[in-house]
Amino acid sequence: YVTTILEDAKIYSSHAKKSSVDADDVRLAIQCRTDQSFTSPPPRDFLLDIARQKNQTPLPLIKPYSGPRLPPDRYCLTAPNYRLKSMQKKVSSSAGRITVPRLSVGAVSSRPSTPTLGTPSAQTVSVSTKVGTPVSLAGQRFTVQIPSSQAAVKSATPTTPTVQNVLINPSLIGPKNILITTNMVSSQNTSNESNPLKRKHDDDDDYDNL
Amino acid sequence: DRQTLMAVLQFLRRSNLRESEEILRREARLLGDDLSAAALSPAGAALLGGPGGDADSGGEALLSRVTAAAAIAIGSSVATVASSSPGVAAVAAVPPGKGGARAGAAGSLPGAGGRLLPAGPRGLEGLCASRSLGGIVVEDQPDVSAVLSAYNQQGDPTLYEEYYSGLKHFIECSLDCHRAELSQLFYPLFVHMYLELVYNQHESEAKSFFERFHGDQECYYQDDLRVLSSLTKKEHMKGNETMLDFRTSKFVLRISRDSYQLLKRHLQEKQNNQIWNIVQEHLYIDIFDGMPRSKQQIDAMVGSLAGEAKREANKAKVFFGLLKEPEFDVPLDDEDEEGENEEGKPKKKKPKKDSVGSKSKKQDPNAPPQNRIPLPELKDSDKLDKVMNMKEAARRVRLGPECLPSICFYTFLNAYQGLTAVDITDDSSMIVGGFADSTVRVWSVTPKKLRSVKTAADLSLIDKESDDVLERIMDEKTASELKILYGHSGPVYGTSFSPDRNYLLSCSEDGTVRLWSLQTFTCLVGYKGHNYPVWDTQFSPYGYYFVSGGHDRVARLWATDHYQPLRIFAGHLADVTCTRFHPNSNYIATGSADRTVRLWDVLNGNCVRIFTGHKGPIHSLAFSPNGRFLATGATDGRVLLWDIGHGLMVGELKGHTDTIYALRFSRDGEILASGSMDNTVRLWDAVKAFEDLETDDFTTATGHINLPENSQDLLLGTYMTKSTPVVHLHFTRRNLLLAAGAYSSQ
Repeated sequence: YVTTILEDAKIYSSHAKKSSVDADDVRLAIQCRTDQSFTSPPPRDFLLDIARQKNQTPLPLIKPYSGPRLPPDRYCLTAPNYRLKSMQKKVSSSAGRITVPRLSVGAVSSRPSTPTLGTPSAQTVSVSTKVGTPVSLAGQRFTVQIPSSQAAVKSATPTTPTVQNVLINPSLIGPKNILITTNMVSSQNTSNESNPLKRKHDDDDDYDNL
Repeated sequence: DRQTLMAVLQFLRRSNLRESEEILRREARLLGDDLSAAALSPAGAALLGGPGGDADSGGEALLSRVTAAAAIAIGSSVATVASSSPGVAAVAAVPPGKGGARAGAAGSLPGAGGRLLPAGPRGLEGLCASRSLGGIVVEDQPDVSAVLSAYNQQGDPTLYEEYYSGLKHFIECSLDCHRAELSQLFYPLFVHMYLELVYNQHESEAKSFFERFHGDQECYYQDDLRVLSSLTKKEHMKGNETMLDFRTSKFVLRISRDSYQLLKRHLQEKQNNQIWNIVQEHLYIDIFDGMPRSKQQIDAMVGSLAGEAKREANKAKVFFGLLKEPEFDVPLDDEDEEGENEEGKPKKKKPKKDSVGSKSKKQDPNAPPQNRIPLPELKDSDKLDKVMNMKEAARRVRLGPECLPSICFYTFLNAYQGLTAVDITDDSSMIVGGFADSTVRVWSVTPKKLRSVKTAADLSLIDKESDDVLERIMDEKTASELKILYGHSGPVYGTSFSPDRNYLLSCSEDGTVRLWSLQTFTCLVGYKGHNYPVWDTQFSPYGYYFVSGGHDRVARLWATDHYQPLRIFAGHLADVTCTRFHPNSNYIATGSADRTVRLWDVLNGNCVRIFTGHKGPIHSLAFSPNGRFLATGATDGRVLLWDIGHGLMVGELKGHTDTIYALRFSRDGEILASGSMDNTVRLWDAVKAFEDLETDDFTTATGHINLPENSQDLLLGTYMTKSTPVVHLHFTRRNLLLAAGAYSSQ
């Protein structure tokens, strides 16, 4: 800690064209570091302000007969975040058939955070067999993160069916930097129900180029 | 100018400062009374503030201009302060000590104002004094930097100890009846003076000031003083949000008029009015007419970080009644007929109506209108649930002092101090535990195991028309007693089942609230809004809405289908540690680390009640089933009972020796159960605690109730566990008490 602060202070003093590091530089260095590492909750007047704004809008009416009331799909964690691609380069449209031994590009759901970059806890991986990604992938960059996925798949709990042979084609890695975060994905029925609502896009062609 | 003159004259007249008034009028050369009277009446009407401490904003604005004009004319350096909180700061800028400036400015004021000073320095003081009789109130939050800079103007730091000990001497020599009330001043004055010294970087004086006087403070402020002792430099103050809030909000004191007169007279006599300045700037003195309070009464109500609650904070109307249950037909089963006795038989043909709904056709005046807030409609499954509920209710045991509930304790073994949250469904079929290793575990309490629904592939194969379709959709291969849900990245501090048992909420230190499906046992949504640990969450009794409260000092109301909160309840000075819905879902109670409990209106986000009295952070809240009362438990080991309608404390239950983490009323509200870290569950007689409430005019006006020392009478039983702190309590539909906790070996 002390070394970091002193190095920062040296940088600041040289920026200010001073001959030596003095107390002000050190103070500035400490302040910048604490602003980065420790944030405190917003001040009260700010909170009162946003509360006033938020509380002015009336409560929204509730639509009847709307099934499970969840936010729009992009804000949910119900989307499958990878897609299984058929070997024959044909989209298998029948649900329930596991056609693919090869794992292709994973779609990273756009909005919600993909929580588990690093927590070692095993995820229950429920593999979606339906082909269809929720987000258009054109032009996006992804990175592959492999280690946990295979272990997780192998140790998937008996509650969810595992996919045999989930191979990740090493040719996908490399120049394109593809990321697959193998978070848990909700079970098939929700993804199946939600897929018809998702945008249709021609996804195969994009991935063939990889 | 003329208007302000009228305003000043009117005020002087009201305060019986005839001499000053005459002088002023003479100097201003006003013609006779008729002119002044005519002009004064509209101004006067504006000035007539409410009695006993309410500030009228119109009058205040006028006066503030007067005093601001005076302050500027005096040439004091506090023009910046005058611009921020006008009435307060400007008055503070006119201590009689500034004699030198006064002489110089005598000629510079326009018209009568200039003569006002030399002719009536007492008059202006009287003005300030009479103005402050009303208790100077600035409702808006003053600009923080301006308030902080107000610390700049103070007197000699070395004399602070003398001022404080002078005040201490005065209060200790005052009459007994006044001493208790005036002693309330010690703590806020001590803190503010200390913070001033620190802010102005007089470290050694601050330290010696602290050393000398911190032992005199009340015992229940010791935690705050410990925090304060670590704030020794100006830089320390900037990062501490709670201390900043403490300084920018006014500490509220309730003092009787007599005691207040005494204090004011004493402080004004002295030449060094440092303490008077602080009183005016940082304290809000809520004056009431009547007998001064005894030490015992005061001790019951004080303790929060911002003093007590102002009386008008608790005056808004609260709809504490319950919503009408919908009436619907209940098919009578054969097995139920025996339990129905004579009533059931003649009504065989008639469908049985819900007993609650059919009681009266008229609207309960204390209940909110049905559509005050939008609530989800009842689905068929909900109606079936209600039918089950009623059937169970018919078999419910009536509890009372002679008939105590049996207690069934669920102990979490091998949790290694990791159990941080527990919840049980309303029908007592599932129990969930949130753990410090960021997992959420769901167990089935009944012999029926937990199953998830089948995959889509299999679902398409089942016969949808069969009667037991709800059984067929479940996948037998997934049956297990325990389900573990992974997803959070921090300890899980709060869990809540939805009333229809389809969803589970969990909130965690990672700042998110997660919605889990109990049909697939996967996570559906992560609600991000708090960027700081979320300490508690709860579903609304009707589902769809939920509330969460966290370290960022706000509570948020969410709906499951909105990714952003619908309401933000901001106002607490420290973390929100506990959030509960009222049974009618229109109000939310939040308990906080600033030792207050606030009741918020869901419709518009306003704070409708502030309850002070706890001496430690509040960790448990429970509404009575009839919606009228609230029970709160905190780290001080006391359970306080509050009447929501009147906004008063109605009971205090002493007995626990450690933090109370669980409070629950029995199904019909006869018994209150409390569970605590001291490894006990205590049962209290709620019926007796809430009867005989005196609500005469005086108590409603002042909020003072003489609490009877009847904790021992109300205690019905104490049940010890084997070194297992009680974390959760739940009354089943038949009034069996379930309790949960994790065994801790030390």
